Amino acid sequence: MGAPSGNRIGAGDAGGRRSGEPARLRTLAAQPGTLSLLILVLVLGGWEAGGRTGALDTFFFSTPSVIAVKAWTMLANGDLLFHTLRTGYAYVAGVVIAIAIGATCGLAMGWWRRFGDIVDPYVVFFSAMPRIALFPVIILIFGIGDFSRTVIVFLGVVFPVLFNAYIGAKQTPRLLIDVGRVFGYSHNRLFTAVVLPAALPYLIAGFRIGVTLGIIMIVVAEFLAASAGLGQQIAVTAQSYQIAEMWAWVLYTSFYALLIVRGMDYFERWAMRWA
Amino acid sequence: MRERSLEVIEVSKSFPTAQGRLQVLDGVSFSQARGEVLSIVGASGSGKTTLLRIVAGLDTPDDGVLRLNGREIDGPGPERSLIFQQFGLMPWLSVVENVLFGLAMSGLSKIEQADRAKDAIGRVGLQGFEDFHPKALSGGMQQRVGIARALAVGPRLLLCDEPFASVDAMTRQTMQTDLLNIVTKEGVTVLLVTHDIEEALFLGDRVVVFSSRPARVIEEIDVEIPKPREHSVRTSTGFQEQRAMVWELLQATA
Repeated sequence: MGAPSGNRIGAGDAGGRRSGEPARLRTLAAQPGTLSLLILVLVLGGWEAGGRTGALDTFFFSTPSVIAVKAWTMLANGDLLFHTLRTGYAYVAGVVIAIAIGATCGLAMGWWRRFGDIVDPYVVFFSAMPRIALFPVIILIFGIGDFSRTVIVFLGVVFPVLFNAYIGAKQTPRLLIDVGRVFGYSHNRLFTAVVLPAALPYLIAGFRIGVTLGIIMIVVAEFLAASAGLGQQIAVTAQSYQIAEMWAWVLYTSFYALLIVRGMDYFERWAMRWA
Repeated sequence: MRERSLEVIEVSKSFPTAQGRLQVLDGVSFSQARGEVLSIVGASGSGKTTLLRIVAGLDTPDDGVLRLNGREIDGPGPERSLIFQQFGLMPWLSVVENVLFGLAMSGLSKIEQADRAKDAIGRVGLQGFEDFHPKALSGGMQQRVGIARALAVGPRLLLCDEPFASVDAMTRQTMQTDLLNIVTKEGVTVLLVTHDIEEALFLGDRVVVFSSRPARVIEEIDVEIPKPREHSVRTSTGFQEQRAMVWELLQATA
């Protein structure tokens, strides 16, 4: 494996096709993607085998084959789409509003220092607070509906975004501000031309924390009170001992979370392509 | 005497510290003729950079007056540009965008700005690197971008704050020669601040020697080396003698 590729090709040429094929297979096997897939196959295989032999209690863990059938049924009968949309609306609305408001307020706090100093203790307080603790009172105020969930997602996302935007704007290197001043930029122009782009890496870090926290917030919110949605389905199926269905919902929810994190990766790479 | 460009009259500046006020500049006065390259040399931390920041309009003096072409300096202005020791390039902008950054507030048309940027990039020898980001360039090349940005605006006074202190020694000498050629050819008035005696002499028509903390002008020296100067003048007897003299002056005040 450690031999340089030149040697391998040489050996393949000398020994004919038979020694060339295993070499190629070995290269394929060494790919991280192949190994990752292998682990997945082993885990699922072990899970299935454990369930069938009784080593794993199927009452709690079900088996991958049963879960797969349930998952397929949800997809085929439209349940998945229905609950995904219900959760998705509240999530997207909450995230978008939170990013808009959080980024704006955080940047403003960083740029107008006095304003930032005044608001700072409140931001620290609300960032530290477990905001899901507000959910009962939010339900009292807004009822069990999409709006309550939007509010809870908003509360989860807005503070990390705000806090990061605040730090990002505050840490703008003095040197770059001076450069702008020397070349005649006004206070407002400095903000858009220097502070905003300099804060971008921090903003993106805030978005990343925010969207991830938002997923947790909405799922927990739906556990507590919702008439539909992915979290609500996880709670309902678990409470009625439909364990295979519950696992299917958990896996779908995780899959969406993965998509969101992956999307964030691409967005970050695009926005930070100069770095 | 040639027409006055910069006049610095009795400028003083102090900063508050935990141990009381720290006097950095103490009644600094000198003047500079149009087209002249004036080097200010002093020990590190002697207040040279503070003076340059005041001339740039980034800081205000506690006392004293500064005039450029007869007009009092009371803030940054488009007739002055600055080459920063730490380059000060926007990492998210490409080479050409960084040069355009300096031109954006000039009031020139977009076409004129693009022409000037292209021209300045050519003068510092960075053609072909227009779309590179600073991170992909060496320190020397980054400072060439800084020079292009400062030249593109066509300053009446070009301020240089230890422009090559963050560049490796080999590159430094090449860049000193290149900068000297550009400013000599175009007759740019340059105020250069440095702790490097050789740099002060090689680039300067005149050298102002600062004492250290608080900075006062202790000597003004005419550099008796004709221009254009080649790299080889550094080893000439005259150059070495003036270098020794400035060194003595700085030692005496330390």
